Amino acid sequence: MATQLPESLENINTETIETDLLIIGGGNAGCFSAVEAKKIDPDVKVTIMEKAHISRSGACSAGMDAINTYIPEGKTPEDLVRWCRSQVGGGPLREDLTLSNAQELNEAVDDLEEWGLPVIRDEDGNMQYRGGWDISIHGEQLKPIMAEKAMEAGAEVYNRIVATALLMEGNQCFGAMGFGLRDGKFYVFKAKATIVATGGACGLYKSYTSDSTDSHHQTWMCPFNVGTGYAMGIREGAEFTSMEQRWVATRSKDFCGPIDTISVGFKSSITNAKGERILEERYADLGGDKAPRYIRANAPMEEWLAGRGPTYADTTHLSNKEAKELKIDYLNERPSFVLFLASRGQDITQEPIEIYGSDPYIVGGHTGSGYWVDMERMTTVPGLFAAGETAGGNPNKFVGGCAAEGKLAARGAIKYMESLSLAEVDPAQIEKEKERVFAPLLKEKNFDGVSARMMEERMQRLMDEYAGGTTQFYRTNEERLDYALRHLKMLKDQIEFLYAKDLHDLMLVHEVVDRLDVAEVVCHHLKFRKETRWQGWQTRTDFPETDPEFNCFVESRLNKESGEIETFTRPYEQLVPGE
Amino acid sequence: MAPKVDFTKCDGCKAQDEPLCEQVCPGNLMTLGENSKAYCRETSDCWDCMSCTKVCPVGAIETRMPYQLGYHGAKLIPLMGTNTITWTCIDINGNVERFRFKTRID
Amino acid sequence: MISMEKIAPKIGLYIYDPAETIAGSIDLQAVLEKCAKIRQVEICETVSEPASETFLDSVKDAVTSAQIDRVIWAGRFTSHQRKLLESSLTEAGLNQYLCEWCDLELQGIGKSSGSAKEQQNKAMTLIKMAVARVKLLMPLTPQEIPSSDTAVVVGGGISGLHAAASLLERGKEVHLVERQSGVGGKVALLSRFYPLQCDPHCGLEYVLKTLRKSDRLTVHALSRPLAVEGTAGNFSVTVLSQPRYVDAERCNGCGHCTEVCPVDQPVILDAVQDEKPFRQTNGIGVMIKETRKAVHQAIPYAFPETYVVDRHACPPDCRKCEKACPTQAIDLDQQPVEKAITAGAVVAATGWDPYPLSKLSDYLGYGNIAYVIGNLEMEQLLRRITRGVTDLTTPPVNSLNNVGFVQCAGSRNTQHLSYCSSVCCSATLKQIQQLKSLRLEAKCVVFYQDIRCNGFEEDLYRQVKELDGVLFVRGFPKVKTSEAENCVSVIAEDTFSGRKVEIDLDLLVLAGGMQPSEAGSEFADVTGLPLNPHGFFTGHYQCYPEESQRTGIFTGGCARGPMNVSQSIESASRGAIKALDFLEGSITIKPTFPVVDKTKCDECKRCVEECPYACYYFDAKGFPEPDLTKCRQCGNCMGVCPVGAISINHLTVKQLAAQIEMLETSFLDEDSPIVLAFLCENDAYIAATSAIDSGLNFPINVIYLQVPCAGAVNNAMVADALSLGVDGVFIGGCQDGQCHYIKGNVQVRKRSGDLRDKLTSMMIEPERVRSESIEIQDTERLVQVLNEYINDLKELGPNPFKI
Repeated sequence: MATQLPESLENINTETIETDLLIIGGGNAGCFSAVEAKKIDPDVKVTIMEKAHISRSGACSAGMDAINTYIPEGKTPEDLVRWCRSQVGGGPLREDLTLSNAQELNEAVDDLEEWGLPVIRDEDGNMQYRGGWDISIHGEQLKPIMAEKAMEAGAEVYNRIVATALLMEGNQCFGAMGFGLRDGKFYVFKAKATIVATGGACGLYKSYTSDSTDSHHQTWMCPFNVGTGYAMGIREGAEFTSMEQRWVATRSKDFCGPIDTISVGFKSSITNAKGERILEERYADLGGDKAPRYIRANAPMEEWLAGRGPTYADTTHLSNKEAKELKIDYLNERPSFVLFLASRGQDITQEPIEIYGSDPYIVGGHTGSGYWVDMERMTTVPGLFAAGETAGGNPNKFVGGCAAEGKLAARGAIKYMESLSLAEVDPAQIEKEKERVFAPLLKEKNFDGVSARMMEERMQRLMDEYAGGTTQFYRTNEERLDYALRHLKMLKDQIEFLYAKDLHDLMLVHEVVDRLDVAEVVCHHLKFRKETRWQGWQTRTDFPETDPEFNCFVESRLNKESGEIETFTRPYEQLVPGE
Repeated sequence: MAPKVDFTKCDGCKAQDEPLCEQVCPGNLMTLGENSKAYCRETSDCWDCMSCTKVCPVGAIETRMPYQLGYHGAKLIPLMGTNTITWTCIDINGNVERFRFKTRID
Repeated sequence: MISMEKIAPKIGLYIYDPAETIAGSIDLQAVLEKCAKIRQVEICETVSEPASETFLDSVKDAVTSAQIDRVIWAGRFTSHQRKLLESSLTEAGLNQYLCEWCDLELQGIGKSSGSAKEQQNKAMTLIKMAVARVKLLMPLTPQEIPSSDTAVVVGGGISGLHAAASLLERGKEVHLVERQSGVGGKVALLSRFYPLQCDPHCGLEYVLKTLRKSDRLTVHALSRPLAVEGTAGNFSVTVLSQPRYVDAERCNGCGHCTEVCPVDQPVILDAVQDEKPFRQTNGIGVMIKETRKAVHQAIPYAFPETYVVDRHACPPDCRKCEKACPTQAIDLDQQPVEKAITAGAVVAATGWDPYPLSKLSDYLGYGNIAYVIGNLEMEQLLRRITRGVTDLTTPPVNSLNNVGFVQCAGSRNTQHLSYCSSVCCSATLKQIQQLKSLRLEAKCVVFYQDIRCNGFEEDLYRQVKELDGVLFVRGFPKVKTSEAENCVSVIAEDTFSGRKVEIDLDLLVLAGGMQPSEAGSEFADVTGLPLNPHGFFTGHYQCYPEESQRTGIFTGGCARGPMNVSQSIESASRGAIKALDFLEGSITIKPTFPVVDKTKCDECKRCVEECPYACYYFDAKGFPEPDLTKCRQCGNCMGVCPVGAISINHLTVKQLAAQIEMLETSFLDEDSPIVLAFLCENDAYIAATSAIDSGLNFPINVIYLQVPCAGAVNNAMVADALSLGVDGVFIGGCQDGQCHYIKGNVQVRKRSGDLRDKLTSMMIEPERVRSESIEIQDTERLVQVLNEYINDLKELGPNPFKI
């Protein structure tokens, strides 16, 4: 419903909410944080700041067909760490985080089953493993179940609030600010501790099908997660890790839906136009069909580049029953893929599913990119905790790991806020942010400027061509990255020309602004890592080999005085012995 | 991925505050139009999670594939049960496939 | 590690089959063996003597030793047996809601069509359904909501007084709210009532005896209710009282004040039957005028006994009464008082107002033509004559030689009051009887349409007909000014004889009708209560006439419609009796009420809209919450919720889904369709059970579930059944206009219509979902309809979901 748009900043009301624990993002990690916090201390006040509506927001909107990490009987958390390590080609990996997460993993998934999530079990009651660590679920109701539990636990949910900035007192975080997408108010959440769990960043790069009238958001990842959580931290000088570790994966061509774990689960090898099984043929030394994910992601692209495309996940050996089960998996996660197949009249037992790489995303639940956190999951900004895709250092978390991390962050946050009281926050900061937030909406009539969509398209094209997007088969080099950084800066200088015609538009404006900050950091990281360690995720044509000098974490943080992003390294520590 | 609203069925959820589809859309894309019926304000921004299609109490919403991706006439229809969901898929050649599975365990 | 401990239910399944109806049709032993294998069925046995001590003890032991924690009684038990079993279980500590009655015969086992194998399979399915449901049952206790023992009675007329008396006699506290300065209402203005020519003051004094001696009565005169907030058991009634200017504690009714009052105010009596008092001394007709002092006794009847000052009539700065009062009771500075009264129930006895007769002036001459008066004014006249009052304003009785009466003046007329005002015929006859007793020579003519003297009032009619000088003319008169002096001219044609009657009358009395009172309309505004098309309060005419749409607010007397004094008294007493339920200190709510899961609720407000009793309000966060004292537990909210957030306790969406899930495997042979029927408990369900008991060859294909109202059926339940492969879903509700929950049947029809459209798009035949109106006695018809439906389903073929 149309809200009366404000004429001036004075017309905009500020709503201040005081709470103990603020959770930005009511997704997988966010909901688990809420439940855990209330379990530890039923009296603690927990508030969730949610951009959409908690029942179906974010990456889990349509559901999930599998939980990709659950430690089976006979395996240990250390085994999982070892596997994670192999998935990043041997390192770097925050083994401390990965181990502590692995120890919480199964309990979090068990919680979900307890809450009513159907975990597929056979007649004897055993879970069905699709791969080494992935169990099958029917997760169409995953999001509603988690949302209900968070509310049942007593968390107060504020839906349709777009977070825009952290609330700081000195260098400590005491909450966050944002605006109401429905009521047009300015919101200030004052909290003793804050958990940022806003998911990953999609839409930094152009998706290769998003140049048509009807499909701008044909991405694997949820396009409504734009990295706001990262951006808010970047702007306050928080330290970020591994932002060059972009998540690129094998996806169904054009539709850009999940296919990777499904193809593993249904033993559908990646083939090319000639019918060759690519991974066995060309990547045997890296594990063949069991090669790490980034190999699997890059392999089809290499085939296309070499002229041996199209590439497929070969489903032609599936029985009708298996094909149906595969579709049921999809119906639980990306149901419209079934519609896609139907729209092409495609019978996957006759015609294999075509695959391709996706556009690159920043997702700390898949790769290690995100906030640098300690064992309590606190970032380098005191009072700010991160969990889920937003937190870095610990790849391969997926649903179970993000849930587990949510719990860990809640524990850390509750401990942190013991004997802490709410700070008196400088009102000037609030006024300044309010002005920044609403400026695009308050431009004068007939303002000659730039729309959010225009700037987004420019940024996405820029990143795609210069920072290793799909059209470039993920490749980049020093000069292109410099170019990208130069133009990103120009875009940032042009933020003052952005205008919004309504509140939805205002959200789109801030989504672009946030993405620019994240994109900039990504480019810095890509620039700094002068090697190619994970082809596809991070391919440097000018440094095509792995360099042991970079057997470390690449870190970054904004220097608030100079306004420049500084990059540096941190050493990689192997904790868990073995390969 | 355009959610298409059948205006003969949509009653805008009585055009009270927010129709259910507007409430649930993760992208803030569904909203009430001037005719007090729901519509998608930017169909190209839809991610086709189908939350709107599932929640509509009168079955007024249909999710469609963009033509760049798939041809015209296929349908995927969710039917919400208490602890189950049933999907009916009709492809462009008229073949019908049905799927039913539990979504909640008590 | 599971964070929450889940305790697996332990079920005791007992099958009782004294007439071997079931055992005669199926292999009961095989069924029992299969049932014993079902997980969580701990005991599975047949019962031969359910009322015997040994058996009852064994069941009690099973419960107390925690061998079982819930029970299924399968079979036909007499009500005596049921009571014994229930009390035994209660003694053993088992909550009564953990107990399920599963009558296999009532679902047709042994009493319907179908082969032995099919019956067997159906029996197994029914038991599995009971088990699935019982696993999800929760112990429930009735909710006690504390309630006040105070009642508010609005209206101090004869109905209100009787309602108050009934309540006072039962020890309740009563606040009587009356808009005038005294009680009595319209009855206090009458001369007599029929059929015994009683003096109304006698009737009033009789009921006032109870009120006078009670110390639990507070009378708020010159008062009106401003707001009625809250709910049954806990209303807050805000009453605004205008000042009397006399202190009730001090006034002893001596009347000295009246003696010194300089004012002699002409007062238009309430009996003037017009909207705007118009009476002037200009020869229009008979004057019913009185003068009154500014300070006077309560009007229309001197109860409360405290005097009252009409300040508007006082001359400026005059305080003579104040000075004269020996007890200093006059307080001319009194202010209006607003008070909030906590009450458990409210009885509205707001009475009636006379239909304004000036609306009939163009053809009956009231107000234009001299000597035309209304029936209430006639009462005034008769009263004054009886009391021997002679003054310029009251015509002497010996001037009344020819008096006419026009019946149905403004009643039974679509331009005025479309209904019959019920009392006017007998009232006129009573007036004639009284007039004749005062002046035997008076000649009376009654111009009538139909004389409606019901029941024993016919005696009054006969008596009057037998009097000399009373003529009945069936015809509506034309009234005009007479050429002769001091009379009015009337012409009429008697439709029976065709004879014309032309007559000059000394007085023409219009028997005007009763319209809803202004006080009643105000009360409706204040409470939000709907009125019937005639503007009177309405409950369900046949079954619960005293109820209103707000639980705890009752109505009585003419507030409900035109009725005579004895009917008013009875009607008011009914309101008072029903009010007692809410005045007992606590209200017990059956625990089968709806619960909203606020973690699922999207605040779409559909439950609020579809609740037939508007019992939903919004909590602090904007979530809907049912007011349990208003809720009739019909389940329409559960039926409409698009996200399944609402469940009726003991009939939850999960329990229903679990039962429906058991229909996954067909219990019939390949090409026989399976039908799941939802039948409403007031009509369709009873028709079904009667059909089965009457041996009407109820089709074996049907398994039915009882719901409080067809409106409780949610599309998700229908979807559950169809997607499982059930061939058809049948919804049986009441006939339109007869739904016991007002509109549940209509609502479910609309919803299943939407579902049918979706089914069509899914290439499932929409005819698989069928709604039907079934009346309680439609036993044959139900069987016929079901058989036709099954044939239709056979033609459609099996459900496409059955792959």
